[in-house]
Amino acid sequence: MILPVSNFDKQNMNFMGNDSKENNLPKSDTLLKNNFSTRTRIAMDKFTKAFTVYPARGLKGSINSDFYEFLTMGTVPYVVGSLTLMSVFNSAAKHFESFGQSAAYKLGNKMALGVVFYALAKTLSKSLVNLPVKWATGIDTQLPYLKVNHQLPESKDDFDLTSYEYHKVGESVEFTRWDLLYGDPNDKRELNKRFDKIARRNGLGTNLNDSDQAVKPVYKEVLVKSSLARTMSSYLWAAAGVCLAFQKPWETYFNVATGKIWNTKDFAHSLKVFGESFIESAKEFYNPKNPKTLLEKYSGKGVIALAALATVAGVMNTLNINKKPSKVTEKDVMDKNKESVVG
Amino acid sequence: MRTNLIQSYLQNNTQAIQQYHSDNARRNFDVKKELTNRTFIKPLPSNGHLVRNSLFDIPSEIFKDIKYSAKALHHSIKGKANDNELGHLNDLGMKLGGLTIATYLFSRKFAPLAKSMEFVGLVSFFAAMDIWPKLALQLPAYLIHGFDIRQQYRDNYGTKKPVFQDHQFIPWDLYSDEEINKIGDRLRVPKDMKNRRDFIQEKMRKIALQNNTMWMLTAGFATPIMSALICEGLKDPIHNYQDRKLNKKANALLSNFNNEIAKYDFSQKNEALNELLENHKGQPITSELFDEISKAVSKGMDSITAGEISKDLKDVIMQKGVNISKSTFENISESLKDVLQGIPENEKKEFIPSADEIIAKLDDGKRSAIASGEVISNQTEFSSYVKALEDAFDAKINAFEQANPQNLNTERVRFMVDSMFESTNGGKSVLDKFFKSTPSSVLTDSSIQNIKEVNKTLNTFHARQRVLNKYAYLKSAQAQETYLANTWNSILDSDMLKTLGITDKDISKTRMDSNLVNNLLREKFEAIVCDDAKYNEVMDKIIEKLNFLEDRTKFAQFDKYNPDEKNPYKTYVDTTFDEAADNLKQKGMKNTARRLKGYDVPNGVDTHTLKDLQLSFVQDRVRGVKSSFYRLLNTLDFFKRVSDKEHLDSLKEYNYTDASGNLLKHVDFTRQIKEEMVEMSKQLLLGGRSSDYAVKFFFLRNPELNPDNLTDEQRRLLFSDIQTNMGKMVNEFYGKQALNQLADNPHDRIFYDSAMRLMYSDRLSDKTKNKIENSMFFKNFEQYRKELFSYLGGDEYFTKKSHKVAGGSADSTTEFRFQLLGSAVDDMFTKLFNQKFNSKTWLKMFGGFGAGLLGLTVLSQFFMGKMPKDKIVKENE
Repeated sequence: MILPVSNFDKQNMNFMGNDSKENNLPKSDTLLKNNFSTRTRIAMDKFTKAFTVYPARGLKGSINSDFYEFLTMGTVPYVVGSLTLMSVFNSAAKHFESFGQSAAYKLGNKMALGVVFYALAKTLSKSLVNLPVKWATGIDTQLPYLKVNHQLPESKDDFDLTSYEYHKVGESVEFTRWDLLYGDPNDKRELNKRFDKIARRNGLGTNLNDSDQAVKPVYKEVLVKSSLARTMSSYLWAAAGVCLAFQKPWETYFNVATGKIWNTKDFAHSLKVFGESFIESAKEFYNPKNPKTLLEKYSGKGVIALAALATVAGVMNTLNINKKPSKVTEKDVMDKNKESVVG
Repeated sequence: MRTNLIQSYLQNNTQAIQQYHSDNARRNFDVKKELTNRTFIKPLPSNGHLVRNSLFDIPSEIFKDIKYSAKALHHSIKGKANDNELGHLNDLGMKLGGLTIATYLFSRKFAPLAKSMEFVGLVSFFAAMDIWPKLALQLPAYLIHGFDIRQQYRDNYGTKKPVFQDHQFIPWDLYSDEEINKIGDRLRVPKDMKNRRDFIQEKMRKIALQNNTMWMLTAGFATPIMSALICEGLKDPIHNYQDRKLNKKANALLSNFNNEIAKYDFSQKNEALNELLENHKGQPITSELFDEISKAVSKGMDSITAGEISKDLKDVIMQKGVNISKSTFENISESLKDVLQGIPENEKKEFIPSADEIIAKLDDGKRSAIASGEVISNQTEFSSYVKALEDAFDAKINAFEQANPQNLNTERVRFMVDSMFESTNGGKSVLDKFFKSTPSSVLTDSSIQNIKEVNKTLNTFHARQRVLNKYAYLKSAQAQETYLANTWNSILDSDMLKTLGITDKDISKTRMDSNLVNNLLREKFEAIVCDDAKYNEVMDKIIEKLNFLEDRTKFAQFDKYNPDEKNPYKTYVDTTFDEAADNLKQKGMKNTARRLKGYDVPNGVDTHTLKDLQLSFVQDRVRGVKSSFYRLLNTLDFFKRVSDKEHLDSLKEYNYTDASGNLLKHVDFTRQIKEEMVEMSKQLLLGGRSSDYAVKFFFLRNPELNPDNLTDEQRRLLFSDIQTNMGKMVNEFYGKQALNQLADNPHDRIFYDSAMRLMYSDRLSDKTKNKIENSMFFKNFEQYRKELFSYLGGDEYFTKKSHKVAGGSADSTTEFRFQLLGSAVDDMFTKLFNQKFNSKTWLKMFGGFGAGLLGLTVLSQFFMGKMPKDKIVKENE
């Protein structure tokens, strides 16, 4: 059985590998807290399974293998591809003569750093969209939930076939998991509390009878628009990360770079040089020394501007919600009890 | 959504409905009819269908995909996109990011191929992402299992999706029974099986799932490697295309010379100059103003030419001397207040003479002229004016002293004034600034006109020179991917190694050390020259390559001293420099004209001029390249001559002659000297650098030229001829002594002279000559040998002054000798070896890995779709 991460019912999150805790596993799909701890543990869980359980099931042709597993396995080509890309530029260099080796390593190290910066920039930059959208609209587009799957037995020995997947409430704009956003059905206040909050934040009104109906179109629109903003801007920030890695000042860092953390003096020096090289590279990226062409002079600024513009424009477009009901004040509403003349 | 319509129908439509039979619902789908159909309570007929495209549909599919992306983007901006459209935007974002990276890296590269490869890399990466699953999974799976695992379909909304994307929701209804059964036959599913369709579907699902998993597991390895291999494969075709483009571009510069010149805009320079001139029109040309004018006129010129322009402009617009008038003394009187620092203002008035008081001290002629308001022009001598100032000061100080005998400031002022008259600044008296403030030269209309004409001539010259520089750069600069660099790389390529019999193993063994390469080349050359057929084959290849070199270096084939030369580059250089120099000379800019092309030079080109530099640049660069390949040919010829013992005249004897060439003495070389000379020549031709030639060769020899105590047999051998076997020397003397018994003989000029003759002056092997005498380069090759013999042989080395070929001196520059010698053969091949080794190692490593991965992935098909036995039994029940 694939055991999940739990972070629900005000419990601390644990990896449920302990038999005694199995009874605590949810029986149905459950919302999770969207915090750093949950995100990290979900990422670790998905990462591990992407390299172990899911490929094994996929290669076996398991009847239970689903689209979620296929999508999660998308991490594999990303990680392996990045390592291969580093290897393509570095592995052969050790056989080269010293000048060739030096030239190859310079490029290879920049490429490797570029791969790391690509991943970092792509991941971190998503917050540039997610956070403002959350602050402004109250809609957490990345809200995770635990999905409980009851699978089909594949052999006579299969008796407990429950698997757990990590999805996001808004990962599908067509099949958004509205049901998870509702509170206790027996308590009217609790039932729509999440929708009420979003409605209030977006100026749809307070104490609405059916805030869920008013919020859903807005929620959906925000999901779509923020997804566009996140996709476009994250790839552009990732590109900026690669461009940053290709600056000459990094060569100073490559000369002293060490991963030997136990050699504290050298490691600390390496970190210090990393910081200095980062600053110098950022300056060089933005304002190259002795540019030979206009394109060279402005290309760095252009890349940064493009990424920043995509982020700002994307967020602004997301916050420009079209599906809000028009603001109607009380005086605009016709009083049924009053007489009126139509003419 | 249709489901909503169904619900709506169920809830609201209560009226009697006429029975309706939908025969062709898919084609003529009508919502109203469907809703009023009593039998409607069943899934709506599907409009989905499998997408079956042929090659001819690819363009339309690409167009549809682009249209879909645009639609998805539009919907997303409006907040109306569906999941599929949002997924599509991920691909778009990835491409946008990739394009951004490629554009940025493009902007940082300068060589055309490197620039192009940034975009090729991007495209190849996306192509690899697309090609790998098709090549390694889709095609083998189709061939082995008989169905397309990446089959796509269009759903009811027209959205294209993979059939096997989600294994729990496969739209099986899109496959007809006939299609499924056909696939089942290929999958060898028993025809009489019950529930055959279900079984086949399950098998197909399994195969597709296993392939999808394999895709995820292999794509990470395959995509970067495949992309790199695609780039590697495309490098040569792109390079060849760019080479042709570059040559066309360079030639177009000359064929459209006038249009190209017009592209250079000097309006900003002209405006700045005009503004400067207009603002100072009619004003004295002070040294500051002159510097500004000179700087504006010579903008863009190199510093030496700018200096000459400045020098000439001074002659053209500046008059000597300054104007002296009453105002000069008024200014002086005013300025002196600053000199007397620390003296109270009321006392300063007592000490400082007024203008009239200074004028009064001048001699009669000047005093009366200045006093009457005249201006004395072109003054270069100021001693009388200084004397008058000094006298006026003395008079004032003395008068103050008499009136105020107790005032101590008198002595202070006297000291200050004395210091002022004595002190200098930069070799000039500080009084200069008082007297030279009003130069006689004034920026008149005529001066302005002259400056503008000079500026116009220089602009035209500058524009033309820039076009010529651009041409010279594209053709022959010492940079990556110029026409000449491409020529070098084309000649020194894999087929050259193949022709010389150099294998990958040879390369990997020797590439690290040029000495090892030297030994290897020597072995190869000796093996080639002992086999006439092989030698002819090698010559044919070298002729082909040198003809190619000759053809591609025609642009630098001209006699720079011949004014009737028709070479386009030379013609334009002549026109550019001659016209500019003549124009400038007419305007009195003699120094600039001399800087450009020399002065009254009969043959049109003077050395150390810009014109000479312009012409020499391309020729020097080409000379270096040609010499390197001529050296290879000469080395092979020498090895051939030694092997065949043919035309080794200088090895046999040495003739001492007088200045008129009359024979004075004749000496036969011993076999020991012959062997030493051949060995040294082989070493030098293969690996000699400029320094070896400059020091007239350092070579360890047996210091005992005529050894005693030889047996008769040994003495007979000593005067015998050299022997060779299979291209190698059979040495009887050389190499028999221990190294510590050998020494260089710096006094043996005959040995040096003969070795130079042996290498560069003795006739070519008949086999070489017969092969190359009709080639395009034969004359140039002979010229090369002749020049190398005389210039390197005639060069003087201060410790071996007599080491000159035929006793003659030949002056040349170090650079010229360096170019003439060309690259050492072993050096040239060491670089080539490393280049080939690096790319082959990379290719072997990743090409091998890629091939292995492909093989493994294809092989995995045979293990896919295996069904458990009980499943087969179950389906049969």
